Amino acid sequence: MRRVAIVGAGMTSFGEHFSRGIKELIPMALGEALASVDKGMDRRDIGAAWLGEVGTTDGFGAGILADSCGLLDIPVTRTENACATGQDIIRQAIYAISSGHVDVVAAIGADKVRDTSSTSTFWDWMAQTRDMAWDFPLGLLAPANFALHASRYLHEAPATREHMAMIAVKNHFHGVKNPKAQLRSEITVEQVLKAPLVAEPFGMFDCTPQSDGAAAVLLVAEEHVAKYTDHPAWVLGFGLGIDRVMHQHKRDMTTFTCTVKAAKAAYAMAGLRPRDIDFAEVHDCFTAVELISYEDLGFAERFEAHKLVEARDHYVGGRIPINPSGGLKSKGHPPGATGISQCVEIFEQLRGHSHNQIDGARIGLAHNIGGPTAASGITILGKERR
Amino acid sequence: MSISVGTYLPPWGTSQGRVLGYDEDALTMAVEAGRQVVDAGGMVTRVVFISRELPLLEGGNTAPLLAALRLPDTLEVVEQLGGAPATLDAILSANSGTLVIAVDAGSSAGAAAALVNGSSPLVLAGRAQRSLPQRTRHADGQSFRDDDPRLLRESGLRTSMSALDLPEKPLLIAGLSARDAAVWSSEPPPALPTLGASSPIFALAVLIDSARSGLVGAMEQATLSVAHFNAAGSTVKRHEPKAQKPAARKKAPGGDIKLSLAAYDRAFKSKVGWHAGKCTACGLLSTPPRYHCLGCGADDQWELAPLPRTGSIYTTTTVHVSVPSLESPYTLAVVECDGTDVRSLMHVTDVPPGQVTIGTHGRLVLRRVAIRTGVPDYGHAFSPDAVSVQEGGAA
Repeated sequence: MRRVAIVGAGMTSFGEHFSRGIKELIPMALGEALASVDKGMDRRDIGAAWLGEVGTTDGFGAGILADSCGLLDIPVTRTENACATGQDIIRQAIYAISSGHVDVVAAIGADKVRDTSSTSTFWDWMAQTRDMAWDFPLGLLAPANFALHASRYLHEAPATREHMAMIAVKNHFHGVKNPKAQLRSEITVEQVLKAPLVAEPFGMFDCTPQSDGAAAVLLVAEEHVAKYTDHPAWVLGFGLGIDRVMHQHKRDMTTFTCTVKAAKAAYAMAGLRPRDIDFAEVHDCFTAVELISYEDLGFAERFEAHKLVEARDHYVGGRIPINPSGGLKSKGHPPGATGISQCVEIFEQLRGHSHNQIDGARIGLAHNIGGPTAASGITILGKERR
Repeated sequence: MSISVGTYLPPWGTSQGRVLGYDEDALTMAVEAGRQVVDAGGMVTRVVFISRELPLLEGGNTAPLLAALRLPDTLEVVEQLGGAPATLDAILSANSGTLVIAVDAGSSAGAAAALVNGSSPLVLAGRAQRSLPQRTRHADGQSFRDDDPRLLRESGLRTSMSALDLPEKPLLIAGLSARDAAVWSSEPPPALPTLGASSPIFALAVLIDSARSGLVGAMEQATLSVAHFNAAGSTVKRHEPKAQKPAARKKAPGGDIKLSLAAYDRAFKSKVGWHAGKCTACGLLSTPPRYHCLGCGADDQWELAPLPRTGSIYTTTTVHVSVPSLESPYTLAVVECDGTDVRSLMHVTDVPPGQVTIGTHGRLVLRRVAIRTGVPDYGHAFSPDAVSVQEGGAA
């Protein structure tokens, strides 16, 4: 099978883009990705495109991508896989390229969360991800969905709400330097702990903001990489993990089984172990999700994620920097775009151009989890082809 | 010749009068009272459901009532609009196996059930059907009130009592204010928790508890029924927890919670009756039932099996943000059913939000989970054991 590399990456800023629709955000992200290609890329080189979009604000997504980007003569597919959508369209792009059908693929993620009111968004998402008879009427909102895991985790592990708060503080600290981030201000542990409660144990500052935005990466077959750049980010491994859709069927809620499955597949494909990862973009829609994911991704032993936090190993400069972009917490979370934007950050880190550059960044991991904690996507990118 | 009585009072309100929880209606209260009787055993062959607050006036009350009581859906159910006299009449004319459930879902809320074993222990002593409609409610829901306590007392109670020409004062009369009850009863009566349809059964419960036989009356506006009650052999089971102040909740404006009636229908028996799908090949329990058994791989080989209605909390969260068309804050819990590995996600009820922790044990009770495009969506909620402490301190 042909190997695949990312040769260009770009994104809009994340935030409340009231003045721009999805028809503007998608071509903005693609334009920036094309402009980032060192030796240039003509958009007519693109042989297929995927749109990762969770909501459908302005109608038919695949057509909007083709129409707004001037890509009317290639196949375009919209994919929705909850908040794992971003990594999943990269996986589909790789399938297309490595099978030999296409040489260049644009994987674009976009969502326009704030075209609906901030309160009704919860219901719109829930209707897509809950059992209509059993779970939907209970009001199992996204934060509650993850809070059920967090409560059980705090019950069994030594971690506390303070450790969760320290993750929000770290991600805001990283996000201050990211010009594309939505919330660029530092916060304190005390502020996090005193914020109004959303779904216990999450307060407002444990939660990602609601965001609009788009992000794009350009994936190319190995024999064409040199035409575009001498500094690509090679795909080393990927994985998609699925878990049971109802919380009552998840036997152990101190872990995200879908992440464990995705990580196992990605590490096996890459021939890497967790300690080989230099840094990671981890899905921190809620602080405890990042904390628990340290264990699911193998960065910490079971029930010892809090030690990594206490040692500040997750800061840029630490043993395993997590979310140098600011993460979902600070950078923002337009769900379809989130996973792609993580790969934009990794692309820049591997090329040494990040706003929050990690010394010696060679291998980075991007991680999404979403839906009823039932879908996880992971992509591992490396500076060397290996 | 006896009755088995079950009573239910919502845990909200004051000792002067209970109010419904936000997730209760006449049907959920009927199930609470009915379960006190049905779960103790006893053959039910017919159900009479009496209330002036039936939730669905176009049909749809009887199936959830039978399903939640785990009674066959082949039984006759009489839905009856009525007050105190209607309930007394229904019990005294009932055949053996008739379960009369009467509910007051307005002010002074409560519900009570009576299962008649053998011939009815009530014998009619007198009845007066008279019109003095001081309170009215019309089909469009509009109600009118023209209370004149003296008129009601003189032209209602006194006139009807005289018409009956009873040999002695009744021991108790349901449906009367404490003041009137004191005048017209043979001895100072205990205050009954309700005044409407359920009140005669609460009165019978008092007589059973004190092993007294004699006349018992039921009054609504100017209509009065009186019967002789033989208390011998009858039993009472009460669920009358201590009253607590209703929790402050905020209902955010917003559209209804969408409902697929087809999905509602598919889930109905399992959800309202609290049944798992049990694989007929390997015995694995699945909630909700699964087409493909994850234990042995059998396809479409399952039957409904009742699940225990007690369990413990595996994990929980309390949602504080306001959510359109739900009342916040509310507590969610994943509950593990006793003696099984079956878990279910449900709301926590009967306590203010945030009062439970992992490991809390309780009962699973029928509640109205939501109203979805006008349809009451019934399912089970978790009621912590601490709620079940009875009024007066008895466990």
